[in-house]
Parts: sequence; structure tokens; C-alpha cells
Amino acid sequence: MINEAIKEKLRTAVGPENVLDKDLDRFGYSYDSSFIPLLPANSPELVVRPLTTAEVSAVMAIAHEHGIPVTARGAASGRTGGSIPVKGGISLSLDRMTKIIELDERNMMVTAEAGVRTIDLYNHCAAKGLFYPPDPASWKMSTIGGNVAENAGGMRAVKYGVTSNYVMGLEVVLADGRVITTGGKAIKNVTGYNLTSLFTGSEGTLGIITKVLLRLIPMPKARNTLQLMFPSLDDACATIHGMLQAGVVPASAELMDKMSIQAVARHRKMDIDPAIEACVIIEVDGEDEAALAKQAGQIKQIARGFAVAEVRIAASPKEADDIWAIRRGLSSAVGAMAPTRLGEDISVPRDAFPEVVRRIKKISEKYNLPIAVYGHAGDGNLHPSVLCDLQNPEEAERVHKAVDEIFAAALAVGGTLSGEHGIGMTKRRYIADALGEDGVVALKAVKQAFDPKGILNPDKIW
Amino acid sequence: MTTNNTRDLLKEVKDIVTQCDRCGTCLTVCPLFDVKDIEASSARGKNNIARAVAEGGFPADAGVLEATNFCLLCRTCIDNCPSKVKTDEAMIALRQYIADRAGGPGVKYSALGVMMKKRNLVKLSAGALKVVRKLGLGGLVPFGMAPTPFTREQYLSRFAGPAALAGEAPVTRATVGGDAKVAYFQGCGMRMMFPEAVADTLAVLGAVTAPRQVDNVCCGLPHLAHGLREDFLALAKENISLFADADVVVSDCASCAGTLKHIGAYFAGDDAWREKAEAFSAKIMSLSEYLVKAGYKPRQRSAAKMTFHEPCHLGRGQGIKKEPRQLLSAAGEYVEMAGADTCCGGAGSFHTDYPEVAAAILEKKRVNIEKTGADIVVSECPVCLAQLNKAAQKSGGRFKVMHISQVL
Ligand SMILES: Cc1cc2nc3c(=O)[nH]c(=O)nc-3n(C[C@H](O)[C@H](O)[C@H](O)COP(=O)(O)OP(=O)(O)OC[C@H]3O[C@@H](n4cnc5c(N)ncnc54)[C@H](O)[C@@H]3O)c2cc1C
Ligand code: SF4
Ligand code: SF4
Repeated sequence: MINEAIKEKLRTAVGPENVLDKDLDRFGYSYDSSFIPLLPANSPELVVRPLTTAEVSAVMAIAHEHGIPVTARGAASGRTGGSIPVKGGISLSLDRMTKIIELDERNMMVTAEAGVRTIDLYNHCAAKGLFYPPDPASWKMSTIGGNVAENAGGMRAVKYGVTSNYVMGLEVVLADGRVITTGGKAIKNVTGYNLTSLFTGSEGTLGIITKVLLRLIPMPKARNTLQLMFPSLDDACATIHGMLQAGVVPASAELMDKMSIQAVARHRKMDIDPAIEACVIIEVDGEDEAALAKQAGQIKQIARGFAVAEVRIAASPKEADDIWAIRRGLSSAVGAMAPTRLGEDISVPRDAFPEVVRRIKKISEKYNLPIAVYGHAGDGNLHPSVLCDLQNPEEAERVHKAVDEIFAAALAVGGTLSGEHGIGMTKRRYIADALGEDGVVALKAVKQAFDPKGILNPDKIW
Repeated sequence: MTTNNTRDLLKEVKDIVTQCDRCGTCLTVCPLFDVKDIEASSARGKNNIARAVAEGGFPADAGVLEATNFCLLCRTCIDNCPSKVKTDEAMIALRQYIADRAGGPGVKYSALGVMMKKRNLVKLSAGALKVVRKLGLGGLVPFGMAPTPFTREQYLSRFAGPAALAGEAPVTRATVGGDAKVAYFQGCGMRMMFPEAVADTLAVLGAVTAPRQVDNVCCGLPHLAHGLREDFLALAKENISLFADADVVVSDCASCAGTLKHIGAYFAGDDAWREKAEAFSAKIMSLSEYLVKAGYKPRQRSAAKMTFHEPCHLGRGQGIKKEPRQLLSAAGEYVEMAGADTCCGGAGSFHTDYPEVAAAILEKKRVNIEKTGADIVVSECPVCLAQLNKAAQKSGGRFKVMHISQVL
């Protein structure tokens, strides 16, 4: 319980206008973009919205002194319940810390506060010809702090990697309010343990990230899009392997299975041959048009070797947009097919992609639940989407069993529970399966060292 | 939206809001969240409050009503929502649910609804003012910026939210041929507030056709927006009959055109009126839509620099976006403003219920207008024009506000 005296201290720390305590206002900070039921509401006792690192530090010092749980929150676009304050306490919303502090063009690095939206950061850098590649599909709304806390990935991961590949340093407020900085602008840095990596992907359980220092690369000058249709999923996957082995690394390579393709076709009123089992959308980028044409030619050649039915190379930016619209419209098209869409996020070694898709199809048949599969084939990250009605208890039961088996299938082929959405609340039950008991003990030791009172985002990850 | 049965309303709300994936895309586009950035301001926030109410998590009390009222019904969220969650319909249904439980839409809306049906009152703003004063509504006149006494237009701007109508209007099927009989639908707002613009509309129309003038009645939007559906239907029938032998009906008010285009859908279950209503809706056109189809060329090309404020009811409501811009480009130097399609903040009773927020929204619009360096901001809706006029005043005359017919 946060008593009135503590509330008053918190109001003094951040200004009364940055504290919300009305029922309906608190309710707004009780959910995120996961499938955790809305009710009973996991409302925080108080929403606190600091504007500076010093304020975050003051809030943490108060919380630490009184043993109040603190759950960090960016935009609550997380898919695994990470920002849900399950234990009540404070929802520490960083969304008002929105300053881009420095764009260091010579070192090609940018420093930003945690609440900056990913797209704003991208645009700010792009205006100077600098490229921040990680592009989670939620980049319009998610915060850079949330991206770092989840180690978010995106479509471009196959060529450019995920958030952690760009994080050079962080400013973090520790559980008791002390402030540390990790890493820095030096490219080479092996001074002590790599705390930057440790905090990246820590889901708000080790400290509050207040600032991030990110590495940038030059903006590719040209890009183009290809759409490949295959009568067989295996051939689609084989084409992607063939490409990568031949040294043609696309900026992204997105795969959609038949159910996903047909969902989009229905949604967008298009006709797509029912014999098509897989669609791959590829983006290539490079120095100039000639470089693009060369890559496109190579890809076409390789795809022919794997019985591709149709290769479409965008002839204009408009056509490229049309092709991407298919991928971008996918999530809602699939979502429109059922009352609930339980979108999961698993990641497997690239060569296990067809195998795990086959296993998922079997699970789909076994539980009589449609499961659409799509994902970032280039990096082995898939999003099986179970189409169901979770309001129906009998069906919900089957769904949970199917999801259990999907995770088991991922682990069985050497994969993992999450490619990019994190563990949060929704995957806690499986973590020991993925890491082993000793692995969990090791992680807990880290948690204990940083957060001895267990106030930071309790009940997450394990 | 089609029933007053309290239980069904809640189900209707639930069916809509359970589609929300809580992704948060709407947070980045909602004009209200932009000025008051707490979750409950956004579509995600309101939809989930509504969902909690429908699932028994919160009582439908004054706090919930307050949250649902805090919506411009501008539909920007829906345009950007991957799941196309109809936040506006959910909010209207929940408002209605709460109002019904309190025993009707309230004296204020019922009495004004009656007044609005009287054609002579529609024409006499002074008379309307008296009635309004009698009803004790004088205090609702916006703070000192009403250019005339309380007019029907102001009534409209106050009591009809931009999106009492479900979804985008159907596409007009009418053809604009040489011998098509064209009639002008004169909206109440235009009649009361902008008679000069009405004259210009008629002049512009006169260049391509011989527009027939009909003594039409109110389009019924205010009635529809506030639970006076029967009145809306009665007005609709009258208009349908009045325009029976026109091939095309043109309105220079985005809200009227949008409303009239929807009438067909409201008579779907009425065997006697269905066909007539559908035929009526199919011949409605917005002014710029008609002019482009008729190949209208502006009377002059002026040296003025113009920008366009896109009314919610025109762009999102009817999908008419290209046409006004095309006409303006032909009439002068056209510059697009940032956020041209963002609601101006007038939005029904919103600007009297939340004057500070509405002013903050309008303030952003003013800054965007000034950034274009335009001499004139043009629009195609009297409600927007009235609201934009406040911005023009604040700008100290840096730009003027005009109806599109006045510059063509
Ligand atoms: C439509 C949609 C598409 C998506 N696509 C992708 C995708 O392609 N790739 C991908 O990886 N993810 C994706 N996501 C998931 C989600 O957007 C990411 O996990 C994102 O990084 C979350 O950012 P956020 O600001 O919303 O964080 P939140 O959801 O608010 O928080 C996420 C976690 O981070 C913690 N946290 C937030 N900010 C801080 C901070 N400053 N310090 C410490 N901890 C913090 C929270 O406590 C929580 O545990 C998608 C989500 C949606 C809804
Ligand atoms: S954009 Fe749509 S689905 Fe996403 S949170 Fe808003 S209303 Fe819900
Ligand atoms: S209708 Fe407009 S004001 Fe209402 S939630 Fe949607 S975007 Fe916001």
C-alpha cells in the first residue's frame, strides 16, 4: 500500500501533474498489447511520469525505501505483459522523457531519452543520412527504451541485426535510485562485465533505462522489393538459404504461409492462386540501382532452381509499396478471421524453419485450431497466430495446449521461446524448459544483485 | 446505434471494443492524446474502459461518461487502426447506454431536437436564440467568439459530433450529365452563418448547371447524434420527397452531404421507404465532388496562397480528399498544410465541455496554417469555418477563412 504521505513525496518528486491516481486513469496503465485478460484489472496504485533522470532516481529511492513495486512502461505495445503492474505499486511511465539529446554525426551515434518513439528517432537520424536499422513493426508507437528493454527485432534483422546490435551504452537508474552509465562511444570496450548487454533485454527487471546511446550506419542509397510465390513452403525456405549462402543478404525476407496469404487476399479482395503455399517478400538495398538489379537477378536465378511459380520485381516505388502493403496488412487480415488472434513469437535456427512450420501445422490439426504462420524467415523468427475464441472456455483450453506444444516444438528443433517479444508474464511457465534449472538460478543471482528487495517489475520473466 | 434497448447497446459496445488489440497505434494519431497524453484520452484507453464496463469491471457511472464524452468522434484512430475498431460508434453507443439508464437524452437535447424540426425557427436565428435562452442554454454560447447571436449553426456545431454516422458514406452513383436535374441542398449552418457563401455556391453551380432551389429541412444529424432517431427519420422522409425529381443533390456542407449519403442505410428495414431512401442517398454529392465531376473551371486564378482544412465529414466521412485540393490548385497557389485532415477541435459539444483541450487542438491547427504562409484557409463545412475563424482572430489577421465556393 502506498500511503498518502508516500504519495505526497512522489508528487513532490515529479510534480503533481505527473502523478495519476484516479481509478479510471490508473486502469489505463493496467494492460499492454498482450492477451492477458483485462479483468480483473492489474491497475497500479499510482502512475508516475517522470521527466528527468533525477526524477526517476528520486522515485526509485522512495520506492526502495518503502519496498514499493515499480513497473517501467514505455508505450505498452509489448506483447508479453511486461509493463503490466501485476503486483500493483507504481507504474513508472517513461513516455514523457522524449528528448533526443545529441546526434553525433562524426561518431555516427545518437543519444536519446527512453521515451522517444522509435520512428521519431529513425526520422531524426535519417534527415542527416544516418540509418538506425531496427524496425519493430510497432515502431510508430513503441519507445526506444521499450525496444532496448525487450531487445526488439524487426524485419531488417536478417541483414542488420536487432536492437542490441546498436546499443553502445545506457544510463540506468538502479533499484535504489543510484544512477550508472554503461558502455560509451568507444567502439572497442572490454572494461569489466558487459552491463550494456545485460540491461538490453532485461524487461525492466534490473533497472530503469533513462538514456540510450545508439550506433548508426550510413543510410543505404537505394532499395527495392521483390515478391516470390512458391507452390511449396520447403522451396520457399530453401530459396532463402540459397540466397544467404550465395552471399546475397537481403535487408529483409518475410515469409507467409498459405493461410496468411489467403487471409490477405480476402481482406484486400485479391485473387491468389490456391496452389500457392508460400509467399516471400524480399527487400534488397545497396549503393545504386545497378547493385539492386544484380541482387534481384541473383535471387531470381536461385528461386528458379527451387521451382518458384512467380517472381515480381517492383518496377516503381509505388509497386514496392503495394507489395509491402500485403505484408503490413497481414496482422489485421489474420486478426479479422477470428474473435481472438493469439500471436506468438518463437525463434529457431534458420535451417529448422520448414521443420517447425510442419510441426505447427500438425499441432493445428491435432487441436482443430487454424494457425496462420508468418515471420522473418531470413532470421528464423516466426509468429504462429492461433485463430480462436478465448471467450469460449473449452476452446481456450485447447488453445493453451496448442501453445504449449508450439513452444515445445521450437525448443525441440534447437530454438527458443522468444525472438523479439520477450518473456514477460506470458512465457514465464516455460523459461526453465528453455534455460534449464541452473540457467534460471544464474539469472536469479543477477536479479538478486541488482534488485535485492525485488521491487523492479516483480513476477516477470520467472 | 439502431436500437434504444439498453442491453443491446452494451452488447454492441462489447462487440466493437473486443476487437481492440491494444496495439497502441491510435495513440500516435488521436488529436486528443496529442494534447492530453494520458492513456484514457486515446482510443485504446477509451475502448478498454468501455470493454471493462461491458464485462462488468467498472460501473457505467459519471466517470465513465466523462471518459466516453472525451472523444471528438473524428475517426482518425479508425483510419489508422489495424483492426479498424470503430471507436466512434462504441463511444456513441456507450453514451446512449448511460443516458438511457438516466432516463433519456435529457431535457436539453430533447427540447432542442423539437426546436430544430421547425422550419421557421431554422430560418430565424434570432428566434432560435430566444428559444435557446428560454431553455437556459445561453451559457453554452462559446466564449465571446460567436459572431452572431446563438444561431442554428452554432447549435449544430455544438450538438452534432462529426461522426454520429456509422462509417464512411457510400460512393455516389449519380452521373453528372448535361441534362441532369441538379438541386441544391441548403444546410442550416450555411443558411444561418454563411449566407454569402451560399450565394457563391449558387453562382458557382450556375456556371455548370441550373441548380434548383428547394426549401429543404434539416439533414437530421443533430437528432441522430443525440438519441432522437425518430425525428431524424421524419426529416429524412421529408427531404426524400422534396428532392424526388432531382437527379443530383449538391450540398456545400460536408456534414449535411455526409448525413444525406447515409440515409439509405437507415431505411434498410423499411419496405415502404427503402428504395426511395437509397435512390436519394445515391444522388447526394458534396460541392467539390460535384464540381470536379462536372468539369468546373474556377472563375479566376487569383494570386492568393491557399491551404485547405479537410473536414472530418468530407475526407474520412465521404472519402472526398482529392477534389477540393484539385479545385484550389486551379484557383490559386495551393499549399498543403501539415495535419490538414486533423480535426479542428469543434466537434459537437466538445468545445464547450472541454474548452481548454479544444483550444489546444485549434492552436495546433493555427500554427500549421501559419506555417504554410497561406493568405486563406479554405474549408467546406460551416462548423469548421466557425471554429477556424477563432484561429484567424488569434492570428491577428495573418490569414482569412473562406468557404470553398467563395474562392472558386
Ligand atoms: C503491432 C505490433 C507489432 C510489433 N512488432 C514487433 C516487432 O516486429 N519486433 C519486436 O521485437 N517487437 C514487436 N512488438 C512488440 C513491442 O512493440 C516491443 O516489445 C517494444 O519494444 C515495446 O516497446 P514499448 O515502449 O511499448 O514498451 P512496453 O510495452 O511499455 O514495455 C516493454 C517492457 O520493457 C520494460 N520497459 C519499458 N521501458 C523501459 C525503460 N525505459 N527501462 C526499463 N524497462 C523498460 C517494461 O517494463 C516491459 O517489461 C510489436 C507489438 C505490436 C503491438
Ligand atoms: S489502433 Fe485500434 S487495435 Fe490498436 S489500440 Fe487503437 S483501437 Fe485498439
Ligand atoms: S475518434 Fe478522434 S478523438 Fe476519438 S479516440 Fe479516435 S482519434 Fe481520438
